[in-house]
Amino acid sequence: MTVDAGLRALAAGAVLGLAFGADTACAHVASAQAGAFYAGMLHPLTALEHVLPMLALGLLAGQRGLNEGQGVLLAFVVALAASAGLAAPGAAPAWIGWIPPLNVGSLVVIGGLVAAAWRLPTALLYALALLFGATHGYANGAALPADLSPPIFALGLVAAALLMAGYGLVVADALSRLKPNWPRVAVRVAGSWVAAVGILVLGMGGKVVGAP
Amino acid sequence: MKRTISNRYPILAALIGSLLPALALAHVGQGELSGGFTAGFTHPLLGLDHVVAMIAVGLWGAQLGAPAIWILPVTFPLVMAFGGLLGGLGVELPGVEIGIAASAVVLGVMVALALRPPLWVAGALVGLFAVFHGYAHGAELPESADPLAYALGFVVATGGLHLVGIAIGLIRRWPWGVPSLQAGGAIIAGCGLYFLLPHLAGT
Repeated sequence: MTVDAGLRALAAGAVLGLAFGADTACAHVASAQAGAFYAGMLHPLTALEHVLPMLALGLLAGQRGLNEGQGVLLAFVVALAASAGLAAPGAAPAWIGWIPPLNVGSLVVIGGLVAAAWRLPTALLYALALLFGATHGYANGAALPADLSPPIFALGLVAAALLMAGYGLVVADALSRLKPNWPRVAVRVAGSWVAAVGILVLGMGGKVVGAP
Repeated sequence: MKRTISNRYPILAALIGSLLPALALAHVGQGELSGGFTAGFTHPLLGLDHVVAMIAVGLWGAQLGAPAIWILPVTFPLVMAFGGLLGGLGVELPGVEIGIAASAVVLGVMVALALRPPLWVAGALVGLFAVFHGYAHGAELPESADPLAYALGFVVATGGLHLVGIAIGLIRRWPWGVPSLQAGGAIIAGCGLYFLLPHLAGT
């Protein structure tokens, strides 16, 4: 019963949050100087490279149920914020070229795991959440405009990530509780699509992604 | 218990539905994103040889029933993307156009005759064709579009074609649906033959 109530509260929160988030997406066009928090929120929300893996991570966590999945999301956003903070101040290091392919790789790995509906050892799942939190955080942090506050920007990043991964978590958990088989398969199909997108983009990597 | 389950449907609908405006709004000020998605989404829909083969995959999946109907939509996009990877990397794969046209013929015949080979045979056959289809699209990818948006549109459109095939295939629940489904398979095989013959004559 409490899980049910919590589910509803989360769902309502997510719907409200998204309505809010969508509004800010419009604001992005009107004024790019909406502040560090919105900049941090918008940067991952307007790039599929970040949207898809975050949604998929939520699905992966949600396949284990709401209670077990929450910690994975927490690990992801901690790594996201820390890595964005690290990336923000300095000049780009030589290995920054590895970040975009790793982020595309996160689509393949996370989507593939959702498609396989494979129950990973918990430690490995957390390690993946930390790794990809760090790579996505770095990519977003490196894009921080110089005049914005890095901690507030990171907070916006975390809000956007929780919004998207939270969606995945709640949807996958709710679908897994239904009686028929097809909702669980639908979650796996979504994972398969995300992984397929990642593989296709890796195939295009030589042509498009690597181009300046 | 039953009541709580039925209570969840509105929540789910709200959750999933509320994602749609976000996707639409994400297009604002993102010309490359929407352009890439549209290009990717329409690409598989505009090649009739691809469309009939993908629908045939769905029809056959529905005809074979569980577990094929569940395995198919999960594994096909992955295998197809692997083919796309080969195409994108420029790996040589001869006879791709013939393979695509042949896939419509073979899959159409399978549906028309309601053949039920062992699951691994069906899987290997569909997987082989998936590589051909993915390869053709991977080799034709435009260089200007946002690659992720293009790939997403492409995968969603192909997955949608499978779902259409599966949905049509559900008519076999009714007595008149079984022969209708087989007739559909025969039409698809005919289309495939129409595409195949010029390739065999020309090259």
